[in-house]
Amino acid sequence: MTYYIVDGTEESFYTAVFEAYNDRDCIITSERSVQLGLGFEVKDVATDGQKAARVRAKLNELDGGAEEDISLLLRSNHALKENVAFEYIKLIVAHKGAVRAMLANPVVIEMTEIRTRVFYEVHRLKGLLRFMENADGVLYAPYSPDNDITDILARHFAARFSSKKFVIHDVKRKRAALFDGNEIVITYADSADIYLSEYEAYFENLWRQYYNSVNIASRPHIKQMKGYMPVRYWKFLPEKKVK
Amino acid sequence: MLDAERLTILTESAKYDVSCSSSGSKRENTKGGLGNSSVGGICHSFTPDGRCISLLKILMSNECLYDCEYCPNRRSADVRRASVTPDEICNLTINFYMRNYIEGLFLSSAVFDTPNRTMELLCETVVKLRKVYNFNGYIHLKGIPHADDEIIMRAAKYVDRMSFNVELPSEKSLKLLAPQKTKESLLLPMKKLSTAQIYDKENKVRRGKGMVIPAGQTTQMIIGASPESDGQILRLTEALYRKIGLKRVYYSSYVPVVESPKLPTVGAGLLREHRLYQADWLIRFYGFDVGEICGEGDNLPLDFDPKCAWAMRNMHLFPVEINTAPLETLLRVPGIGAKSAYRIIQARRFGALDFDNLAKMRIILKRAKHFITCKGKFYGLESGNAVKAALLLDGIRENEQQLSMFSSPSVALSALTGEI
Repeated sequence: MTYYIVDGTEESFYTAVFEAYNDRDCIITSERSVQLGLGFEVKDVATDGQKAARVRAKLNELDGGAEEDISLLLRSNHALKENVAFEYIKLIVAHKGAVRAMLANPVVIEMTEIRTRVFYEVHRLKGLLRFMENADGVLYAPYSPDNDITDILARHFAARFSSKKFVIHDVKRKRAALFDGNEIVITYADSADIYLSEYEAYFENLWRQYYNSVNIASRPHIKQMKGYMPVRYWKFLPEKKVK
Repeated sequence: MLDAERLTILTESAKYDVSCSSSGSKRENTKGGLGNSSVGGICHSFTPDGRCISLLKILMSNECLYDCEYCPNRRSADVRRASVTPDEICNLTINFYMRNYIEGLFLSSAVFDTPNRTMELLCETVVKLRKVYNFNGYIHLKGIPHADDEIIMRAAKYVDRMSFNVELPSEKSLKLLAPQKTKESLLLPMKKLSTAQIYDKENKVRRGKGMVIPAGQTTQMIIGASPESDGQILRLTEALYRKIGLKRVYYSSYVPVVESPKLPTVGAGLLREHRLYQADWLIRFYGFDVGEICGEGDNLPLDFDPKCAWAMRNMHLFPVEINTAPLETLLRVPGIGAKSAYRIIQARRFGALDFDNLAKMRIILKRAKHFITCKGKFYGLESGNAVKAALLLDGIRENEQQLSMFSSPSVALSALTGEI
């Protein structure tokens, strides 16, 4: 059994697919802490743009939507995400075309479940991300998502706030998307010192006030609230922060 | 600037309006402007009552001229009163929106001067929000009955959705409980808007070029404050969907909080409201006609959901083979929702499905198994009576959950929803 170790980027993954394709007994993974036994071999994949491009071209020829599926899969926090993506590509090649409608196939079921989880977190955070305005009018949103989705969210907010500058900061992965009104740049970002606008506290308070008054207190249904808005997201929500 | 006290009064007055949907529109961002709308809608927060916050729901004023029997803001009620200016609303909307607290504005008002003056101020606010504040997010505007068409149609060009509440399921009840409103004052503007929507569609009038309400119209009615049967209510609902092209009809179950000789002393119960919503879904997404679900003078059964009830009246149509039944038939199987039906259709193109496949696809089979075969095999209970008993048991569990969701008596307030 051979482990193809990739660095987490799409290019690295597609290079590994190229190299591992004819290897009948292998796993592609970005997990560094693999448990090795006898007869196990580890290959560090060196990203090769040409190899990756050939895999992408073939994939696009067979199914125009597969790259998008895989792009979402690879953002997941699922431990075997690369390998599920690899199996998915093999299935597409075997069937010479799109397979995502084969909803009873185990590979498609697994792919769909991981993809849906990423997709759903994106959707959820389009609503739950909270911006603060700093003294220069730049919007800053720290958060800590399960999956690596900062660039997707940045595209959503760039379309929405085209006249604003903003920063979306994944504090867990130490990555940030910066939007200057023109383009999005993804960068390493550790911690940030933010000087808030003088109105920030005022609007945060009004929002808390609104949140409390729009609730129908006599009709509690905490379980449903937590189902839609899991507690792990609360620490970045002004309406849920303990004051 | 808007203070917390007025915000509280005007939110408290607006919160019983059921609708908080922000879907159905895909307004784009304009150069230098703020916002766009997402066609699927986005929820931004959830309150401890389990409801979503998508829009900033607020009244311009709760000082009402009208005296609708069931409404907490009616003229004769002793409540705190407040109003805000168009600029205060715009400023709050923009600031909430750019912090991503909300998807847009749901603006409504009590009738504080004349209907025209009220509608004009609402219209002025949304025009200002679009043109001066360059806001491209979602706006839902409540229509004021008896206001001139000209003002309503002007406002409709700037908002995504409008709603006039029909309030009560019959003209007779409306006369009794909301005497200042007439059936015509509610239905005529709805029809005018619907005609304008059809005109826009036929003439390809685009958004920003005068297109009215891209996300359509909704309405709301109170259930159980007046004697109409579910059959009557659902016939009105079906007509609103099919003749006026509404996007949603909201129901709000009546519970007595306002004492009045004209109002019943007992509430309608939330299970009835739940059943009406289930029937509403069957009409909109499952290809049912109201005549199949409920007789004109009848009420929906409380023990079973309306699809189960229909299936048990039509046991001769079942079981159906999951691998060959057409979509229309799959949609009629109890327990199989629209999404599952579409997924089955997709999956079976690649090979016949067995019971195990369905389970792995996470199709819920608890109820469905009594009504389907997979590759000719049947996994349910044989006799109609046994099926009935099993479903009844399910129903009881489901109802218990439903009821505990809304167990408190002061659900009461939900009855008053939205009447402003």
